[in-house]
Amino acid sequence: MAKYLGKRIFYIILTLFIVSTITFFLMKLMPGTPLTNQAKLTPTQIHQIYKQYGLDKPVWQQYLVYLGGIIHGNFGTSFQFSNQPVSYLISSRLGPSLIIGGQGMVLGVLAGLVVGAVGAIKANTWVDTSATIISILFISIPSFVLAVLLQYYLGLKLRLFPIADWGGFMYTVLPTLALAASPLAETARFMRTEMVDVLSSDYIELAKAKGLNKVGIIYHHALRNSLIPVVTIIGPLAVNIMTGSMVVENIFSIPGIGEQFVKSILTNDYPTIMGLTIVYSAMLCVVLLITDIVYGLIDPRIRINK
Amino acid sequence: MKINSLAKLGGVALVTGLILAGCGSKSSQSKKQEISWMTPSPIATMDTSKMTDLYSAQVANGTNEGLLRMAKNNKVDPGVAKSYTTSKDGLTWTFNLRHSKWNDGTPVTAKDFVYSWQRTVSPKTASQYAYIFANIKNADKINNGKMSPSKLGVKAEGNYKFVVSLVKPQSYFKFMVTQPEFFPQNSKTVAKYGSSYATSAAKDTYNGPFVLKGWNGTNDTWTLTKNKNYWNAKSVKIKDVKFQAVKTPSTALNSYNSGKLDFTTLSGTLAANNKKNKDYVVFPEASTSYMEFNTKKIPALRNANIRKAMSLAIDKKQMVNKVMQGGDITPKGFVPADMAKHNGQDFAKQSYVKAGTDYNLAEAKTLFAKGMKQVGKKSLSLTLLGADDDDTKRASEFVQSQLTKLPGLKITTQNIPLKSKLTRAQNQQFDLVLSAWIADYPDPSNFLDLMTSDNPQNDGKWSNKQYDALIKKSESTDANNETARWNDMVQAEKILMNQQGIAPLYQQGQAALLKSSVKGVQPFPTSPQYDWAKAYVK
Repeated sequence: MAKYLGKRIFYIILTLFIVSTITFFLMKLMPGTPLTNQAKLTPTQIHQIYKQYGLDKPVWQQYLVYLGGIIHGNFGTSFQFSNQPVSYLISSRLGPSLIIGGQGMVLGVLAGLVVGAVGAIKANTWVDTSATIISILFISIPSFVLAVLLQYYLGLKLRLFPIADWGGFMYTVLPTLALAASPLAETARFMRTEMVDVLSSDYIELAKAKGLNKVGIIYHHALRNSLIPVVTIIGPLAVNIMTGSMVVENIFSIPGIGEQFVKSILTNDYPTIMGLTIVYSAMLCVVLLITDIVYGLIDPRIRINK
Repeated sequence: MKINSLAKLGGVALVTGLILAGCGSKSSQSKKQEISWMTPSPIATMDTSKMTDLYSAQVANGTNEGLLRMAKNNKVDPGVAKSYTTSKDGLTWTFNLRHSKWNDGTPVTAKDFVYSWQRTVSPKTASQYAYIFANIKNADKINNGKMSPSKLGVKAEGNYKFVVSLVKPQSYFKFMVTQPEFFPQNSKTVAKYGSSYATSAAKDTYNGPFVLKGWNGTNDTWTLTKNKNYWNAKSVKIKDVKFQAVKTPSTALNSYNSGKLDFTTLSGTLAANNKKNKDYVVFPEASTSYMEFNTKKIPALRNANIRKAMSLAIDKKQMVNKVMQGGDITPKGFVPADMAKHNGQDFAKQSYVKAGTDYNLAEAKTLFAKGMKQVGKKSLSLTLLGADDDDTKRASEFVQSQLTKLPGLKITTQNIPLKSKLTRAQNQQFDLVLSAWIADYPDPSNFLDLMTSDNPQNDGKWSNKQYDALIKKSESTDANNETARWNDMVQAEKILMNQQGIAPLYQQGQAALLKSSVKGVQPFPTSPQYDWAKAYVK
C-alpha cells in the first residue's frame, strides 16, 4: 500500500509539472497584458513597467524563473491584487470553495445513490418515472440557472436562507443545493442502470431462492455490487463541481477561489492563474487517488498492493 | 432543516426586536448611522502608488486625504492644505498645510507628501499611474530611471509648507491633487511593512474621514469607520459604511430588495426594469463612448463629409434608450456634459455643435454621396472593431445597422477581447473602432489632449493644424489666463466636432438604486465617484 501510494504521489507531481508547464506557455499566448490601465499608457511606459516585473524577458526565461520560485515554495505575487502573495490569496479563499464543493459533492452523490436505488427497486413504476424525471431535469438545468432560481425563491421570496454572502452554515445551503443537483442526477442515473442489472443477475436470484429477506439482499448484495461502477464517475463529477462552483460562487458572492480564477484569466494575472491551475489540478488528482483507494475497499477483487 | 431555519428566524426576530427596542429607548429620532454599500469589485490594493482601479480609489478617498478634497460643482475644498498659492508664471504651487494627524496620532507633514510622490514616480515602484506626474519637474526622467527620485520637483519647507515645481502651467493641478496618487504616505508604515504595505487594513495608516476595518487583503467585505483623528471629524456624521463586493448584478438587486443593501448599481436590462423604482438614480460619469475613424489606413475616411455622414446616420437617442438601456445619456460632444465648468458655464454646453452629435439620415445620405464623389469611390466596405463585452457588442450591432442605411457603405463587426482591441487600436490595425475614455480629472484638456496629432492615444490619427495650435496655446501662452485657456479649448472642441474627428456615441452614466433614507452621499463624474464623508441616515 505504501509503495503504491508513493508511486501515485510521484505521478501526481509529474502530472502537476506537465500541467503547469503547458498552462504557462498557453497563458503567455493569451492576448493582452496584466496592466489595468493599458489604454492610458504609452508603449515606453508599458515597457518600463514590464521591466520591473521581468515581463520583458523571453517567455522561456520567465518560465525558468517561475519554476525556480515554485521549487522554493514561492508562487509569486498577484498583479491584480498588488503585492499580495499568490499563496496567501489562494489559502485565504480556499476554505469556502472546499466547503461548498465538498458539501455539494457528498450531498449530490448520497442523494443520487438513494434516488437511483429506489428507482431501480421500484423499476417501471411511477416512483421510477419521477426519479428519472428529476434526474433529467437536474442534468439539463445548469447549476447557475438553478442558483438564480434558488436565490430568488428560497432567498428573497421565502426568506429561508441568506441571499448571498458568507458567514456560517446557513450561507452554504443554497450554493450547496445548486452544486449538488448535477452530481445527484448523474449518480442517480448511473446507479439505477447498474442496480437494475445487478438485481436481475444470477446471484441475486440465488439469494432470493435461499430465502434471504429483501432488505438483506439489497443491502448486502445488490448495493455493494452496483457501487463499483458508480465510483468511476466520481472523478468527472468532481470536475463538474469545480467548474460549476466558478459561477455559483459568483452568484452567491462567496469569497472562494472559483471566482478568482475566472477574474485572474480576464486580467492576465499570470502568477494567480498559475497558482490556481496547480491547486485545481492537485485537487483533482487527490480526488482520483481517493477514488482508486475506495475501489479496493468496496471491491476486494481490486487489490492495490502492487 | 425547516425547524432549524424557523428557529433561526425566531432568533433573528428576537435579536432584531431587542436592537430596535434599544434604539427606541436611546433616541427615537436619529437612525443608526450606518450604510450598506454595494461595490462590484473587491479592493485590489490600498497602496495609492499602485492603485489603478476606480473601486480601490473610492475606498482610498474615504480613508485618506490629499492636499485638497474634490467638492461638488467642479470645485475643490481644502484638505490637508488649508490654502494654496500659485506663482505668477503658474509654475510654482505652494500649499500651506494644517496641523492634522494620521489615525495613529502622529502628525501629517509636508514630508509625507514628498515621500509619497517620490515613491510613486520611482521606477522601482512600477506604478501604472506615474505618468500622471509627468508635468512635475524631472518626473519623466526619474520614471525612466535616468535620475534619482530625490530630484523630483517637490519640497517640504518645514513641516507645513509643501512646494511643487511644474514643467508648464497647469490650472487643473488643483483637481489632480485630490486624487489618490497624490495622497500622502506615512514613510514609517511603508518601511515597517515593506512589500506587504497596504495589502490589508492593518498594514496601512489613514488620514482621511474614515479608517478601513475588516479587510484582510482578499475578502469581499470591509467597513469604513469614522476616524476620530481626522481634522474635520466633527463634520462626519456617518459611523460605518459597510461594503459588500457583489459581482453578479441580479444578486445585488435581490440583496437590495431584501433590505440588506442601501445602495446597488444597475446595468443593462436590470436598469431598464427598475426605471420606475422610486429609489432609481443616475449618476453621470465623465466618460464618453465614441467611434474613431482610421484616417491613416483608409483614405476615404480622410474626407470630412464621409465622417460627418457616418455620425449623422447614427440615432444616438435610440441607442441610449433602446439599446444601451442603462444610465447612459446622449452625448453633447467629446468632452462629457456636467464635468467641467468655468464661470458657472458647462463646457459641453458652451462648445456644443449640433451637427456633431445629431441624427439626420436624409442629410447623412446627401453628405455621404457628396463625400464619395469627392474621393471617387462607389462603395466602401469597413470593419467596425470593438471589445467583446455585452455592452460593446450591442453598441457594435446597433452602429452597424445604422451605418448600412447609407447607400454604398458596408459594415462588418468584429468583437475581440478588450486588451487585444486596445493593442490593435493603438497600432492602427482597424477601420473603425469603438472606444471609451474616462477622465482622470475634471478638466476638458483630459479629453481634448487625446486628439492632438502626436498623441499616442489618437488611434485614428485624425489631424488638424488649427486644433493642435489651439491646444498648444491653451497649454502655453494662455495657460495662466483661465478665460483665454477655456476659450481655446471651446474652439478646439468645436473644430473637432465640425470636422467630426471622432463620432461621440453616448456619455456613460451609472444607474443605481439608493435608499431614500440615505442622504448626503456626494457623487462625482470622475474618480472617486462617491464621497461618504458628509453622508448620514435620516
